Amino acid sequence: MSVEVEVNENDLAEMVEQVWESYLDPEGISPLIPTYDENQPSEVHSSVSITGSWTGHIVYASSTSAARRAAAAFLAMEMDEVSEEDLSDVLGELANIVGGNVKAMLPPGALLSLPQVVLAPETTARFPHSERISGVYGVWDGEPVSISMWQSRGDNKEGAE
Amino acid sequence: MKILIADDSRVMRQIVVRTLRQAGFGDHELIEAADGQQAFDMAKSENPDLVLSDWNMPGMTGIEVLRQLRAAGNDIKFGFVTSESTPEMKDQADAAGALFFIVKPFSAERFDEVFAPILG
Repeated sequence: MSVEVEVNENDLAEMVEQVWESYLDPEGISPLIPTYDENQPSEVHSSVSITGSWTGHIVYASSTSAARRAAAAFLAMEMDEVSEEDLSDVLGELANIVGGNVKAMLPPGALLSLPQVVLAPETTARFPHSERISGVYGVWDGEPVSISMWQSRGDNKEGAE
Repeated sequence: MKILIADDSRVMRQIVVRTLRQAGFGDHELIEAADGQQAFDMAKSENPDLVLSDWNMPGMTGIEVLRQLRAAGNDIKFGFVTSESTPEMKDQADAAGALFFIVKPFSAERFDEVFAPILG
């Protein structure tokens, strides 16, 4: 059974800020600027699933350009040196880091999956019987980036279509 | 000193290596394992002085690596660098004999604080 989630938008925003400070914008010159637009487009996404005391998904989605930029920052290389493998690995790691931090705020007994990366828009993702419960939506150097939480509607299929 | 970095994410291994260098520990010999089984094997065959391990890895998790090493009588210095951190994980790590628990995202300052006493 899923419990009421105790991770709110502010918590998520704080985790995201830490990722920017540590890896994506250590010099503090290019933060993620909030747009509050949950329908902003994406071209690639990654996710981790959490099961147990809370069940759902954490999804990182962005444009390909923002993903390339993230990979360049993570791997300390130029954007034009970033391979598709670099891009996938970094997207996976981003979902993993945020997912791990979310898990730390959940009641005991939650399990984190290994990350999944899809080089296609978040809108192609299917999280059955889940709904988006919170998210951080913004632009990074003009490119869309979002991190959202999807909660499963419960093990008893209540509310399922 | 020889330091083994175990993480199934190539990106994270690279970041750990870079952060070790930034924190001033780049002169140590750094070796890498890409999953838990490899970490376990290399901890025995390479005889490193310190292991920095991810928690969540396919096949064999970091805590399983530590427990199996201890069960085999190996008391190598071992700690976790992980995006996951819950009180019960920290308890398990302590009980198994881990020296430290670093949470991702981490900074060079955090590495310095944890590793200076260990690496000198």
